[in-house]
Amino acid sequence: MTETERKTVCIINGSLRGKNAASLAFARDLERYLPADVFETISVGVKARVKDRYPEATLKNIARADALVLIFPLHNYGLPGGLMRLLEEYYGYAKAGKDYKRAGVYVIVNCAFPRPAAVNGEVLRVVRNFCARLSLQWRFAVCIGTGPVVVMTRKVPFFYHTLNKAYADIARDILSEDLEEKKDYFIKPIIPEPIIAAIRRHYERSGKMIEA
Amino acid sequence: MQVLLLLDKDSQTNLSEDLHKKIVRTLESRGHQVDIYKLEKGEVFQCLGCLLCLTKHPDHCVNKDLINDLRKNVKQYSATFFITPVLFGHYSSTMAGAINRGTGSHDWQVFIGYGEDISVEEKQTFIDLVAKHRGAAEIVHPGMDRKVDVFVTMSPEESTHICEVLSYD
Repeated sequence: MTETERKTVCIINGSLRGKNAASLAFARDLERYLPADVFETISVGVKARVKDRYPEATLKNIARADALVLIFPLHNYGLPGGLMRLLEEYYGYAKAGKDYKRAGVYVIVNCAFPRPAAVNGEVLRVVRNFCARLSLQWRFAVCIGTGPVVVMTRKVPFFYHTLNKAYADIARDILSEDLEEKKDYFIKPIIPEPIIAAIRRHYERSGKMIEA
Repeated sequence: MQVLLLLDKDSQTNLSEDLHKKIVRTLESRGHQVDIYKLEKGEVFQCLGCLLCLTKHPDHCVNKDLINDLRKNVKQYSATFFITPVLFGHYSSTMAGAINRGTGSHDWQVFIGYGEDISVEEKQTFIDLVAKHRGAAEIVHPGMDRKVDVFVTMSPEESTHICEVLSYD
């Protein structure tokens, strides 16, 4: 494949947890499905606080991508603020008349709740609305329940076949330029929900989120 | 009753200023004390998701800014009002910094989104994003926030109507 035929994929890590982020682990996993001879991969991170604006070079990198993959943790059923800030600035950049590709958009969202289908619907609608505003091509989402648990256990053989299939599907979809709408993927953790709920309650009590 | 009112300073419009004045007038006419903060995006840290405010040092954020001070004192408020532009059906990043870092009163939170260019889908997304899973419908943290209300205004007339609804609460 020649340099001009390679697809440019911009992976945006919307987590602010640095090397401890589940989103970073998912980004690294996805990169394994994007070989350098077929894809040029650009990584973009978000910041906890931006005094002025994101550098123009960051926005240009997003603008030249054939595909955007937003990987982020769910915050209060919505986008983390750092990622929201980046999308706001990118929207302003595009609306100011700067060139940008009508990229395909993919989402990998991880939440603290074990049932990803129950809580991710609204944040996916936000990203779809973002796509509609800029005429970007919404493709599909991979919704992961209890992200940190999946990160810890994702190497267990056979359990996360669907997750690996989703990564492969993203790579395949970018190359295919298919415009037909696809179904989202939902990944549940292998640890049973009652155990996860008990762990969560422990932290909620210790953090005084709920009464002891 | 003491009310915390948070606004996005970088996204002020004629509509938001009109809304702001009407909300304050409504609350004060009912005898509430209103503490108003205009948040600037260059000054507000975003939530890191480190969870240390839940585990190691409850009620304190690792990032020391105005939001941390508001969070520490949030128990003194009976209600928090978030006045935010609606962007893609979401609250602004500045307001996300306040919401995600725990400035919402656990008794009552009121979200009012504004904008003159909001699609029907964006309006409904905002309403669902804020209210569908929160308050009485909370499935992840049941019982944490007693009451959550959400409104969207696209005109001064709608802002007046929202204030009329609020005056009955």
